[in-house]
Amino acid sequence: MEVKIVRENEEVVVSFIGRLDTPASQEIAPQVNELVADAGNTIILDCTELSYISSSGLRIFLTLRKAAAEKGGKVIVRNISNEIRSVFMMTGFLNLFEIQ
Amino acid sequence: MTKQAGRNIKALWLVIIAALTLEGTALVQLHFSQKGIRNEASMRAKVQLTATQNRIMDIVNQTEAAVRNNIWIAQWCMEYPDSMVRVCQRLVADNPVVAGSTVAMVPGYLRHRPLFAPYVFRDASDSLRILSLATPEYDYPNQEWFTEPIKLGDGYWSEPYVDEGGGEMLMTTFSVPIMDAKGKTAAVITADISLEWLTELLGRTRIFPHSYCTMVSRSGEVMLNTAGPETVSMDDDYVFEAVVERTGWKMSITIPKADIFGSLRSIGALVAILQLLGLLMIIYMLRSFIKGQNKFMELDQKQERMEGELHVARGIQMSMVPKVFPAFPERFDLDMAADIVPAKEVGGDLYDFFIRDEKLFFCIGDVSGKGVPASLVMAVTRTSFRNLSAREDSPGRIVTAMNDSLSAMNESSMFVTLFLGVLNLTDGRLRYCNAGHNPPRALTDSIHPLPVEANLPLGIMGGFEFKEQSVDLQYDDALFLYTDGLTEAENAAHEQFGEERMDEVLCVRKSAEGHLENIKQKVSEFVGDAPQSDDLTILFIHYLPATHRLVLHNKIEEIALLPDFIGKTVAASKLNPDCEDSLNLAIEEAVSNVIMYAYPEGTDGIVNLDAAVSEKGVTFTITDTGKAFDPTAKAEVDISAGVDERPIGGLGIHLVRKIMDSVRYERIAGKNILYLTKNY
Repeated sequence: MEVKIVRENEEVVVSFIGRLDTPASQEIAPQVNELVADAGNTIILDCTELSYISSSGLRIFLTLRKAAAEKGGKVIVRNISNEIRSVFMMTGFLNLFEIQ
Repeated sequence: MTKQAGRNIKALWLVIIAALTLEGTALVQLHFSQKGIRNEASMRAKVQLTATQNRIMDIVNQTEAAVRNNIWIAQWCMEYPDSMVRVCQRLVADNPVVAGSTVAMVPGYLRHRPLFAPYVFRDASDSLRILSLATPEYDYPNQEWFTEPIKLGDGYWSEPYVDEGGGEMLMTTFSVPIMDAKGKTAAVITADISLEWLTELLGRTRIFPHSYCTMVSRSGEVMLNTAGPETVSMDDDYVFEAVVERTGWKMSITIPKADIFGSLRSIGALVAILQLLGLLMIIYMLRSFIKGQNKFMELDQKQERMEGELHVARGIQMSMVPKVFPAFPERFDLDMAADIVPAKEVGGDLYDFFIRDEKLFFCIGDVSGKGVPASLVMAVTRTSFRNLSAREDSPGRIVTAMNDSLSAMNESSMFVTLFLGVLNLTDGRLRYCNAGHNPPRALTDSIHPLPVEANLPLGIMGGFEFKEQSVDLQYDDALFLYTDGLTEAENAAHEQFGEERMDEVLCVRKSAEGHLENIKQKVSEFVGDAPQSDDLTILFIHYLPATHRLVLHNKIEEIALLPDFIGKTVAASKLNPDCEDSLNLAIEEAVSNVIMYAYPEGTDGIVNLDAAVSEKGVTFTITDTGKAFDPTAKAEVDISAGVDERPIGGLGIHLVRKIMDSVRYERIAGKNILYLTKNY
């Protein structure tokens, strides 16, 4: 699992590469938690190369979404696969995030 | 022994109290009887006295009347003394009671006859004779019968006396003075009466064998005594007295005490003898009762000992069958439980099982009858099952051989119903043979009796060919074997538990042990306080073949091993390969939960993940030995909630529920077992 964070102007683009399973989520959690500071701006979660997500990964997404809601920012999920879309559907995440 | 001594003392007290009661009753009875008899005796005596008195008074009255009736004649012919003889003659002749009579002139009343007293009396030949009493020797003016009436001026009864002249008879004389016209005493008229009839009268009045009468004159002289010469008067004799009017005679009846109470005494003796007999009988009865009780106690002890021995026999019997569950803790493909709920009496139920060459050999049976013989046959049956199954795989041949050996030695014509199965654990093929036993329940998609050939019970006929059958068990299929002690368990109203109730209980999916406990509880609730008459035996076999197993340690990195394992499982099944990711997600959620929370931090723990592919679908079983945790008990998360209301956690189990078709949790023998099934 690899996470790339790129800051451009008012936007932060976070790219997830590989499987975001439970151990991976634990691994990247500190990195992503730093992004809470950027929650006032727009955070784009790029899932183009994300092949798998577990509930712990979803929790990371939700944490950011809650911070944004608090700080008036925005979280956009970009390019999710059908598999991840179905997970989003099952968990009601489709209603919580702006999906691009 | 002390118990017995206590009983003896008790018995002694009983005898003493019985004796006292009897004696008391007798005394009370005696007292009242005595009183009654005394009253009765006194009454009889009084009646007798009154009757005798009346008879005497009759005579006295007759005599007095006879004399008084002649006074006026005597007065009338006072001037002619010679006619006095006539008066006397008339008096004697007219009154048979009168033996003699005189009219004796007061000396000097007649001028020319200073003494004049003609006496008329009846002689021995009943003719009247005349005698003159006016002799110097007799000196009648000084006789009592002459002086007393004159003194009294009225009739006088003389003291009784013995008449020396006329036959030594006891006599008495009634004399009345005669006044002349001037009121001067002129003469005395008398009537003698014999008292012989008194002797006769009183002699007749013998009211008790030894009672006697006495008659005493005014002066206390004994006139009469009917007592025999042998009679001895005692101080405690009862004496009843009466006085005859006018004569002043005192009459008495004496009754010896012995006479009055003689009959009572003999009755008393009889009662005493009867009482003694009764007492002896009580003692005898008590003795035999105590003896009987002692015997009974001995019998009781004997029976207790025998029961104790039977319990030992039962213990030995029970030690023969596998009782520790899980029976094969190292195996995950079998979940078994079995139990015999024994009736009070040692019965002949049995079950047994063992694994040889990846085959489960099992049987359940019921020996006809109860007690030690049944238990022995049960032991023999079980041994023969073990011995024959050690070499033979075919249930039909095993049962045929068991039947032959049991029939050969069966002299007590006991028989055994038996179901014997051999389950191949590698492919789920169950071969079985039924010898007259109730068909087991198969728990597959439905609950139904396993189709069985009836065959024959064991031990009835040697040489019988037992037919064998077979069926393929799938993952999660189960067999429920039982003896009729279950379906025929009766409640107080004599209703039987029955197959319907049994099937109802089996409907609920549970682990083998769960089923066992559940059905035992349901039966016990149904039966209530009614005594259990037959052994109740249950054998439950749950087939859970492990097609794949992944053993994981409680480290989160181990999650990385899941995709490969799940990929292989999906490939082996008829599941769509597209669902591999979602299946992985569900399993990961469940497993990571266990890895992170089941064991205390810093300790090593194992999580077993079994995947079983069947014709219906795929079942994953996650087993751990950590702390009890039921993920299915967690509340459903609300996925329609907004961002602010959404909780961070709870998504994992939600996903598991969403992805899998069935999620079932059980806690068995310190294990958390989570069954996750995905159907095709």
